[in-house]
Formats: sequence, structure tokens, C-alpha cells
Amino acid sequence: MSVNYLQGSDAIAPGRVRTPGLWRTLAASGGGRIGLGLAAAMVAVIALGPSMAPYSPTQIGLGLPNDPPSSAFLFGTDELGRDILSRFLFGGRSVVLMPLAAVTLAMLVGGGLGVLGAYVQVRPGLEWLDRLISSLFDLALALPPLLLALVLIAGFGTSPLVMILAVAVIFAPRTGRILRGAAQAVVTSDYVAAAQARGESVLYILVRELLPNIAATVIAEFTLRMTWAVIFVAALSFLGLGAQPPSSDWGLMVAQARSFITVSPLGVAAPALGIAVLSVSLNLIADALARYLDPASGKPGVSL
Amino acid sequence: MGEIGAMKSTVSAGVADNALLRISDLSLAYATPGGAFNEVVRGVDLTLRRGEVLGLVGESGCGKSTTALAAMGYRSPGVRVLGGQVWLGGTDLMSLPLAELRTIWGRKAAFVSQQANLALNPSLRIGQQIADPLRRHMGLRGAALLRRQIELLRRVEIPDPERAIRRYPFEFSGGQQQRIAIAVALSCEPELLILDEPTTGLDATTQAHISVLLGGLVREKGVSVIYVSHDLALLHSIADRIAVMYAGQIVEVGTARAVVTAALHPYTRALMLAAPSLERPGMVSGIPGRPPSSTVKDACAFADRCSQVRDACISADVPLTVSDGGHVVRCLQANERSAAASLLRPLSPAIAGEPVLAVRGLVCTHRNASAPTIRHIDLDLRRGETLGIVGESGSGKSTLLRAIAGLLPPTAGSIEFRGETLAATVSGRPRAQRGELQMVFQNPDSSLNPRHTVRAILSRPLRLFREGLGRSGETAEIERLLDAVQLPRLVLDRRPSELSGGQKQRIAIARAFAARPAVLLCDEITSALDVSVQASILELLGELAAQRGVATIFVSHDLAVVRMLASRTMVMRHGVVLESGPTAELFSAPRHDYTRTLLAAVHDLPRCEVPTQ
Repeated sequence: MSVNYLQGSDAIAPGRVRTPGLWRTLAASGGGRIGLGLAAAMVAVIALGPSMAPYSPTQIGLGLPNDPPSSAFLFGTDELGRDILSRFLFGGRSVVLMPLAAVTLAMLVGGGLGVLGAYVQVRPGLEWLDRLISSLFDLALALPPLLLALVLIAGFGTSPLVMILAVAVIFAPRTGRILRGAAQAVVTSDYVAAAQARGESVLYILVRELLPNIAATVIAEFTLRMTWAVIFVAALSFLGLGAQPPSSDWGLMVAQARSFITVSPLGVAAPALGIAVLSVSLNLIADALARYLDPASGKPGVSL
Repeated sequence: MGEIGAMKSTVSAGVADNALLRISDLSLAYATPGGAFNEVVRGVDLTLRRGEVLGLVGESGCGKSTTALAAMGYRSPGVRVLGGQVWLGGTDLMSLPLAELRTIWGRKAAFVSQQANLALNPSLRIGQQIADPLRRHMGLRGAALLRRQIELLRRVEIPDPERAIRRYPFEFSGGQQQRIAIAVALSCEPELLILDEPTTGLDATTQAHISVLLGGLVREKGVSVIYVSHDLALLHSIADRIAVMYAGQIVEVGTARAVVTAALHPYTRALMLAAPSLERPGMVSGIPGRPPSSTVKDACAFADRCSQVRDACISADVPLTVSDGGHVVRCLQANERSAAASLLRPLSPAIAGEPVLAVRGLVCTHRNASAPTIRHIDLDLRRGETLGIVGESGSGKSTLLRAIAGLLPPTAGSIEFRGETLAATVSGRPRAQRGELQMVFQNPDSSLNPRHTVRAILSRPLRLFREGLGRSGETAEIERLLDAVQLPRLVLDRRPSELSGGQKQRIAIARAFAARPAVLLCDEITSALDVSVQASILELLGELAAQRGVATIFVSHDLAVVRMLASRTMVMRHGVVLESGPTAELFSAPRHDYTRTLLAAVHDLPRCEVPTQ
């Protein structure tokens, strides 16, 4: 055949047209920029805070109890004379790290099962597995989350590991459902059928064929789930089920300082504001990600 | 511009008295995300006479739908009018405010879209959807309204109209939904009817039924129609005049007969050579390249794909010129027909020999389905042979392919490959068998993973089925595959979204050939492509299969495509084989009534149109 099929505008230009990526899209919206800025500030507080803290977070009687802010104690002291600024700078760590661990675990287990469930719907001979996974999710979703956490913590104690596991158990079926739904939209694609016809393993299809196509959903779900986990973990600490005294966990700080809110308002305001800023920033990022996912706003890869 | 003006006066001289719609010098542009405007319709002049059916033909993206919508004053969001007027009666629709346009839409001008399932509101009863325009424009109420609703549904041949008005759209078939949409459009007896590919996506027999019905309605009501389609053969049978659009411009206008039998523009002629036809069996030839995505200034838009291009074609805008009988064309070489001989090539001969694939008594039942999708299918496929399977949607032809590919375990029957019985699902088949049975899917948007590069897509089957190639061997093999499907190496690091539809399907074909198949299963592989692209893909497939001695099963709803490619053909309906035999025989002397119905439903271009001079 002598005809050249690549004349004219069907020719492939050497220069590539890059579609705006995830970061670009995030930074393009006002909400996304504010979210990224706040999140960066919180990450700085959590990562660098402990090394910048002027005092130990747990040392009692550094100053007078409930001392107002002064040059020695910028945020004042709490009811035991501890430095509130130092406690604030130390206390962010557990508020972020525990939800991070819990959500990661929930995504791996719950999300993994959800995507697997979606895929086996189109794998001849394995359809029953999806019914089993879905039933498991339904069963887990029937239990009230706070009650479930209470029971687990009552049974296994209040170590950080139990907290992480409890939150992961609560979030796994919820995350699983979302990712199963996202994967369901792509499992019927012929590239999955083509991979099956090549005889690819289940793991290859999940990781190489499906995951990249639901990556945006995974990222958005992760961010959104983090905001809930931050609040959930803080709430557990506030209820006395999470971090235990003398820890400087923000949730616990709010719980302990709330009796003295009139004399030392910063004891409640600083950790409460920390939790609020953290969840607002994650929420803004999640919103911007959701817009990134919305096909109406011009999904990436729709081409030139 | 003087010549266009001259043309206009010549054209309008004969039609001034009975023109219903006059589009003059209309230019439209789409806003791009960057804020610039991308011109998609350029200086369109068209006149629609009273009671006339004007066909508007062209490939996707040529601006035909945008023009047709503008003919009733509608601009999609983001469309900007760069200039020109649309005169309906004495008013310029382009200058009317929305409030006034709404008194015209549905009353004087009505629209039927391609997708009836999207045009009808899924949560409203169809009676209400027909009643809305009648109430609004005609003020009908009560018994008179009910009478009119039922009369309209009866006219479009909806069974049991008294009960049908209380049903929802999902309770009707695709063809019925489109007929209801037509009833809604015709409810207020409009003067102008815009049909935007109203039968595309429907089965051939349903298509034929709707075309006949539309033809009758149009003559009966004396309504003027702009019929948008990519199908020149269909328009030839339905339209009085045909206008051909390319890159936002009208390139040829004439009577349907003149445009088809004496096409003047090289693009129109190329379109006809690209369309498979029952009347002139033989290989089609594609049009090289692809149409520009916006209009072209200071040159003929078709110049870069045209075999007759001269310097004059690319140095200035080409004006429309009028020849005898009001036949208008935008080409400098219109009167110097290409001397190229007919490009038709002989069909592949029937092949005798041992079957490479034998299917016996195959039954497949989909999950949750009460009746089997396919029942007792027998077929033999010999080495190097192409077997065509035709049938309408729901005939089970795709199910049969998926069962052979091992994607859908059959409930009964057996599939033998080189004398060995194949396991029901792919996971039970040895690697060598999986490689030798390859499938190409209908839509490359779905069959190529959008997140993988072309290199990743092509290297995977090499790694699985061609072990021992090594890294350099793999690269060399990928390059050979790209050469075979005529794509440059530049595509290797691209993702599918950066390629055109035809290029994507070439990659999908290359992926199938990468495994060195003995049997290739093709499931409607060109139905998502434009006719000129389809032609080059079919050419390519035919050549590759012949070179490598690959046996092919080619499933299609398009009889002309099967006629062209297949040495033997099988006709399927409701999961059973109605008839099978050598293609030439089956098409010239069909034995089954259903085959005759299918053949009768095909609109074909007349034999005389092939430009062979």
C-alpha cells in the first residue's frame, strides 16, 4: 500500500499537548489554593512544631495555673500550669498521624475489597465473590460507628493501635462502597475484557488496568475520608476514649480545658482552631479534586 | 467574493418565490477554553424551498449539525455568530431574542435529534410530552387535546395509542422512541423540520421503517426538511437536493441525483468510493488524512487530502461556482475529473480446507436471563478465510464472539481450535491458545486503557505471547507492528486520548496482531468510525489478514461491509443462524425472508456513480 495515511491534519505533531494535571487543577481554583495553603501550614506546624516548642508539653507547674498570655507563655498556661503553646505544637501529631494511618488501612482493605468486588462481576466463575463482599459491607454498615468504636476500645484498651484499627474498621466498608461504585463504571470497559482475553491475573487487572482509571476517585475519597477521620479521632479523644492524659492531643486538650474556657479561652481555642483549620483545608482540597473529576468541567485527557 | 454573490443571485433567481428558509453567509464559532474562537461554520449559503427535503452530508465535525441547528435559530452554549443571517419567512432568526425564538420553536420549526432516548424526558409520560407543545402553541385542552395526541401517535404507528399515552419512554423500543420524538416534532404542524441523523444507531430494518414513515409524513404535510446525515446513500433515496459540507463550508450542492451520479467535488467522490456498497462489491478506499478540526482560510480546506491539488488550490479561498442545473461546487478542478482508474479490488476468494476453528451446538445464557442469548450455533472457520456474521442488535452475534474468546462461558456446546476442545473460559486455556485467538473490539475508546501509553499497550501481548524477544527484540517488533498499521513511531509515548478514532483502532489491531493470532475476532470494529476512516481500516485489516494467513470472523450490522470482506456469511437473528453460505450467493439469492428484509432495508448508491473516467 503506497498511500500515506498520515498526511494533513491526521499527522501526529512532534510537540505534545499536555492536559493540565492534578496539581495545576488544584491550584487553579481559589478554594483549592486556600486549601493547599492551609494544609501546608498545618503540615509545617505538625512536622516542625515539636522542635520549635519552648517547653515540654507535659511538664506541670511551669507557670501559674491558667495564666493569661505573656511574653514567657505566648498562649498562656492551662489548669496545671503547662505551656499551652508547647502542648499545641506537640498535639497536632496524633491528630493527623492516627487518621492518616487509619484511613490508609481502610482504603487498602475496604477499597481493595470494593474494587475486587466490582471486577469479579465481569470475571466468569467468580461472580459470587462480589455478593459475599457486598454482604460483608452491608453488615458492617449496619453497626453505628461510635458504638462500634466504644465496643472495640472497651474490649482492647485505649492504645493508639486500637484507635487506628477501630477507625479503620468503621471506614473500610464506607470507602469500599465508594470505590466499588467507581470501579463498576470501568470494569465493563473492553480494555478489561482484552486483558482477560490475554489471560492476565486478577491482581494485574486490579492494579494495572483498573486502579489508574479510578485514581482520581481514590485521591478524592482519601482526602474527604481524612477530614472525617480527623474529627472522629478528635471526638473520641474528647470523649476520653482516645488519647489519655497527660498527652497533648488536641481533642483531649479541648476536653480538659473546656471547664476553664472563661479564664483561659486559648486552652480550648488553639486546639479547636487547629482541628477546624485541618479539616477545612482537607475539605477544600477534596472539593477542588471533585471538580477535577467532574467531566462537565473538562476532564483531563479529553484532548486538545 | 463577487463570484459568491453571482452564485447567490443565480440560485435564488429560480427559487425566490417558494423559498422558506434562506441562510446567507453564516459563520459560527465555538469558544475555546482559552477564550479564543474556533470557527466551525464558514460563509454558509443555503436555500430551502417549501416542501423540499434538503440533505446535509459530511463527516463528524464538519459543522453539519451546528448549521442545521442554526437553521432554526438555535446556537448551542458557547457558539458565537460571527456573521450572516438565517431568514425564515421574513424574519432573521439570528437577531431574534430567545423569548421570540421560543414562539417559533415547536410551532414553525421543529427538531428531531439523533438520540431519542435523550430527547424524551424519562420521567414524564409520553402523552404529556406530546401535549406540551399542543397546549403551549395551539391552546388545545381536554378532549380535543386527547384526540390530537392519539391521532399523532397513530400516525407514527405506535401500537395501541390510547394506552401508550400513559406509558413512559423506557417502555418503548429505540425505534418507537424515535417515532414518538417525530410525533412531538410534528405535533404543531411546523413548516420547517430539522432531522439530525434521526436513524443513526438504529437497526437497518428499523431505520428503513422510520425513513419510509418520515418520507410519507413529509409529503403528506408539505413540511420542508433539512435532513442531516453522514450517509450519502440514505440521503440519495430520501432527499430532493443534497448539500455536502467539509470543514464548515458547503463544498457541493445539487439535486440528489446530480450529486450522487455526477459528483463534481473530489471530496464527494472520495466519500462515495469509501462507502461499501452492495451494488459494486470490491474493496473500498479510504481518504488519506482526516478533516481539519476548524475552518481553513485562504486555501481549499480539502487540499491536503486531495489527489488533484494544484498551486491555485492552496493560495486563495476557493469560490463556489455554478454549473448547469444549479449544481454548485467549490473546486477549481471540478471539471477535470481524476484520471485514476477504479480503485476497487477483487474480493478474497472462498477457501477450502481444514477448519482451524469449529463451533458445535453452542448455547450461551447471560446471567439473570431466562432464555439463552444464542442457541445451537454451528460454524467452521478455515485458515485464511473471512467469515462475516450479520444481524441486528440483540441477535447474539457479539455474544458468540465473546464465547469463542472465552470471556463468556457457554452453557452447552463445544468450541474446537485446531482439533482441540477449548476450555470454557480463558483462564482454563493454555497461553499458546490465548495468543492464537485474538479479539478486536468495537470501540477503541473502550478497548484501549486511557492511562496506558501506546508502547505499554503493544508491549504487553509481546511479553505474554512472544517470550524470548528480549528488550531490543521487543522494541523492533513494536516498530514493525506500527509500520504494519501505518502509524509513525511518534505515537509510542502517546496515550489513546491523543490519537484520532482511526489511529486508536489501528493500535487495537496492532495489539491483536502482536500475539501472532491464527484467528481474529472482529466485533463491529468500524461502526464507531466515519466512513472514510472505516474504509482505510477495512483495507488495512484485509491486507494484514491476507498477508499473515489469519482467519477472521467479522461481525457487523452493515451488510455492505460484510459483502466486501467476507468470503462466507452467516445471518443471525434472536440467537440462531437463519442462513449461511458463500457471500456472493447469499447476497444475490437469499433464501430466508429475514435476509431479504435486511437486504431491502439497505440504502445503496446507484451503480453509475463510480467515477472511472
